[in-house]
Amino acid sequence: MRIPKSFLIALLLLTFIQNISAQERSKIVFTPQWQPQAQFAGYYIALEQGYYSQAGLDVTIKHPSATSDIIKILTMGEADIVSAFLIHGMKAQRRGLPIKHFAQMLQHSSLMIVSRKESGIESVEDLGGRKLGIWSSGFDDLIFAMLEERKIDVRIVRILNTVNLFLEGGVDAMTVMHYNEYNTIVNCGVNPEELNTFFMRDLGLNVPEDALYCLESKYKENPEVMEAFAEATLKGWEYAANHKDYAIDLVVRHMKNANLPNNRVHQRWMLERVLEAIDPGEKPVGRGKLSKQDLQLVTSVIN
Amino acid sequence: MIREKLSYRIISRLLPAILLLGAAIVTAYYLFARSSIAEHTAANAQMTAKNSVHSIEKIVKQAELIPANLAWMMESGSLERDSLYHFLKKLVENNPLIYASAIAFKPDKNRRLFSPYAYRNDSIVESINLGSETYNYLIMDWYQIPAMLKKPYWTEPYYDEGGANALLSTYSHPFYLIKNGNREFAGIITIDISLEWLTQTVSSVKILESGYALLISGNGVYVTHPDRNNIMNHTIFTRAKEMEIPKLREIGRSMIRGESGFDTIELPQIGKALLYYEPITSTGWSLGVIYPYKEMYASLQKLNLVIVILSAIALALLIIFISTIVGRMLRPLTKFAKSARVVAEGNFSAELPQITSKDEMRELRDSFEFMQRELTVYISNLRETTTAKEKIESELRIAKEIQMGMIPHIFPPFPQIKQIDLYAMLESAKEVGGDLYDFFLLDERNLCFAIGDVSGKGIPASLFMAVTRTLLRSLADRDKTTATILSEINSTLCLNNDSNMFVTFFIGILDTTTGDLRYCNAGHNPPVLIKSGAKAEYFEITKGIPLGLFDDFTFNEQFTKLNGGDQIFLYTDGLTEAENSSNELFSENRLIDSINISESRLPESLVKDVLRSVKLHVADNEQSDDLTMLSILYKRSDEDNSKGKEAEKSITVQSDIAQLQRINNWTEERLSRLGLPEELGNTVNLVIEEAFSNIVFYAYEPGDSEKIDLSLDCEGNMLVIELRDRGRAFDPTAKKDPDTTIPAEEREIGGLGIFLIKKLTDSVEYARIDGVNVLTIRKVVK
Repeated sequence: MRIPKSFLIALLLLTFIQNISAQERSKIVFTPQWQPQAQFAGYYIALEQGYYSQAGLDVTIKHPSATSDIIKILTMGEADIVSAFLIHGMKAQRRGLPIKHFAQMLQHSSLMIVSRKESGIESVEDLGGRKLGIWSSGFDDLIFAMLEERKIDVRIVRILNTVNLFLEGGVDAMTVMHYNEYNTIVNCGVNPEELNTFFMRDLGLNVPEDALYCLESKYKENPEVMEAFAEATLKGWEYAANHKDYAIDLVVRHMKNANLPNNRVHQRWMLERVLEAIDPGEKPVGRGKLSKQDLQLVTSVIN
Repeated sequence: MIREKLSYRIISRLLPAILLLGAAIVTAYYLFARSSIAEHTAANAQMTAKNSVHSIEKIVKQAELIPANLAWMMESGSLERDSLYHFLKKLVENNPLIYASAIAFKPDKNRRLFSPYAYRNDSIVESINLGSETYNYLIMDWYQIPAMLKKPYWTEPYYDEGGANALLSTYSHPFYLIKNGNREFAGIITIDISLEWLTQTVSSVKILESGYALLISGNGVYVTHPDRNNIMNHTIFTRAKEMEIPKLREIGRSMIRGESGFDTIELPQIGKALLYYEPITSTGWSLGVIYPYKEMYASLQKLNLVIVILSAIALALLIIFISTIVGRMLRPLTKFAKSARVVAEGNFSAELPQITSKDEMRELRDSFEFMQRELTVYISNLRETTTAKEKIESELRIAKEIQMGMIPHIFPPFPQIKQIDLYAMLESAKEVGGDLYDFFLLDERNLCFAIGDVSGKGIPASLFMAVTRTLLRSLADRDKTTATILSEINSTLCLNNDSNMFVTFFIGILDTTTGDLRYCNAGHNPPVLIKSGAKAEYFEITKGIPLGLFDDFTFNEQFTKLNGGDQIFLYTDGLTEAENSSNELFSENRLIDSINISESRLPESLVKDVLRSVKLHVADNEQSDDLTMLSILYKRSDEDNSKGKEAEKSITVQSDIAQLQRINNWTEERLSRLGLPEELGNTVNLVIEEAFSNIVFYAYEPGDSEKIDLSLDCEGNMLVIELRDRGRAFDPTAKKDPDTTIPAEEREIGGLGIFLIKKLTDSVEYARIDGVNVLTIRKVVK
């Protein structure tokens, strides 16, 4: 999808004019929990398409570094709104951090374990005694909950953020996000049919992921702003669903700005998977909302 | 026009063959060149890739030696922990290839991270401890992977932002230390190598116009690629998906598996291309070279165009050459055609085109020349021959005329002999033949007739025939028997008959008053006898032998009697042996039949009827022999009487005094027929003599031979003598009676005759009626 230049210029002008009256707008710094990628296409679009400014928000998107802790960014006041895994947010809340969940963006779990078929791991039970790569940065609660529940004793190997150890055969299996690392493995020349995949959502752990958090105080101060942000973001996602090429263009631009390796193939995959995760599907809940059942599921996982 | 057509035809026949041949050659050449280029390109691609890989490997291997040596140094304890910073600093300083180097120790009991690290900061080399709270190298690929796999590892290339600002790859080498007598894993030694040289090496590989070399990492990430967007952003697999080329994914998988090989691939912009890939074994990377087919075969295409253009020109030239050469070669043909026409018009010396070549055209010319020569000779021969032939033919014609002239051919031949009607015919064949017939009166009542056929043809036969006929005329005599005549002729012919010629001969002597017929045959065909009121039949006669064979042969005369109305028909074998186209002879039977069929019994019509029958039988076949027929009708006596009386009332004679004897004879007979006394004859004769003489002398010029009619008849007791002539008007009665007193010598000539006539007769009258002098003399008789 191509936007006519004249339209873009008009849009820029509009943004400029709006900026003049930015004083009256609510200034929002939003920090996604990871570096630029299609996972955040909805935010880029909401900003680019002026959904935020239309909602009276002056939003700045500020990505964290690879090693930053997103909750810390929020509590430190470096961002007004962050996107974080629901499970992380809840654990932070458990620790007594005054943060507020005000929107649930991804309704479904994309977390999965992948292994090479040749490793002979046909079910998660087969992971017993095998080396399982897990990110050092967390995202491991669900895995451990699953392993514990099934009493599977695996040898955990902490890895930073690449799939190279898995590709080199250093681990037998690896936790990956379906929308990201799984596809990276495929894009490194491993064919899907050579892989066995174990989705958490298929293992009774379809825990919602990306959620929006702000400080409780800020929410109390001005809940409409937060809701408006969530609303505008969902609008952005809707636009992305209808304008994937445009969305990918935007994502790639952001990635390039961040000097990140990028390619449209991978970002398209990610966009499509994330869009699937945003759609509640059979879940009895509206977009952007967290269902009670999911809340209970997450609570039980944490406990 | 004709020449153009011929050359056009030659070209139109040749052209498809030439085109086909040309197409076959060009195709064969094209295919061969193509496969040769493909082979050559493949070899070139392989060599290019191997060369690049070799030069990369050389540097890589060299680089790999440094950590390996370092690991050995660490293990051997020759390096103190404290000196490591300085050592690494020196190492980096001394190796321009190395951007940074680290010795990352496995954490100790206190989980403390220790990793001396020297790196380039602009032109200075600095050193720090890498391990920190924020930099947990234990989970970094460069440490974790070799540490876990216990083997050296080249990391995926990465862009070192803020540091080297370059594409780097880290080579990690595990090192070991001896602790408590055990060799334990102690950490990882790394060197960071800038890949600028590598990208330069690969990028400098120039392949044709748009071909290129590319390098992918172990994960399939583009390390070098002409499109910078692909470098570090794309893997060969994402590109495969993006371009929707599943084959590229397969090739990529093959490449990262460390295989080498050829493949053909269809790439956007480049099109169909040849891909060769070769692994850089030590790093797990792979180098590929891409040869666009379009360019591989560009020279061939160019060459093809040139060949096609050249072929077209060659073809056009060929056509021009052929038409010119053929035209030139065939030009003499037109001249030959012209010469042939001239020759046909009779000019054998027509000029022939000059042929200098020694080909078929020369042969044609020689043949033409030969033909001309031969024709000239032939025609001159023909002329001579024709002249000779014409001469001979004319001689033959003359001979034939002479032959025919010997034979009587005035019919009726003897009008005074009323008992006989005779007709004969000799129709000679083309050549002079030897047939003959003849008839003549031996005296006033005996008719001699003969027919013969000389053996052979031509001049000798006709001469022999002439001799025979002359002999017949000279030897025939009413007192001789026919057998004697033949014997005499035979013996004469036998004399000097060196050429052994002979003649079949039939002779007959008919007494016209009695009908007695004496005849003799010398080997001739039997004549046909047609008895009055009966069918024709052959004479039963002795055959005899032809004349001229045996001089002492004795012939026998035979005899028969003809009655009034009987007819004898003689012929030669030319008649009975006349052949038609199916070699059937006319034969004796057909002859008898045709005679019987003939309605007329008069000789002339009979002969002509028979001839018609023969001609009908022979049809288109050429007449091969003379046709000779002689037919004699012996009339009835009563017919003779009535006709005779009438006929003999007058006589026509020539105005010649010599005719007087004949007139005397006739007068005597006439008087006796009139029943007048014989003694009157002298007086009448004298009167007629005088009157006749007068007419001869006065009515006609001397030497004239005109006819004079004389009639003698009775009117009552008057004998009437009438003389008629067509001479000049002359009235003898007008003459004065001569003076008889004057001696005869002195008297006027003439006048005496008429005087005498007047004295002897009772009246003399003269009248001129219609230019005819009519002298009527009357005398009273008893």
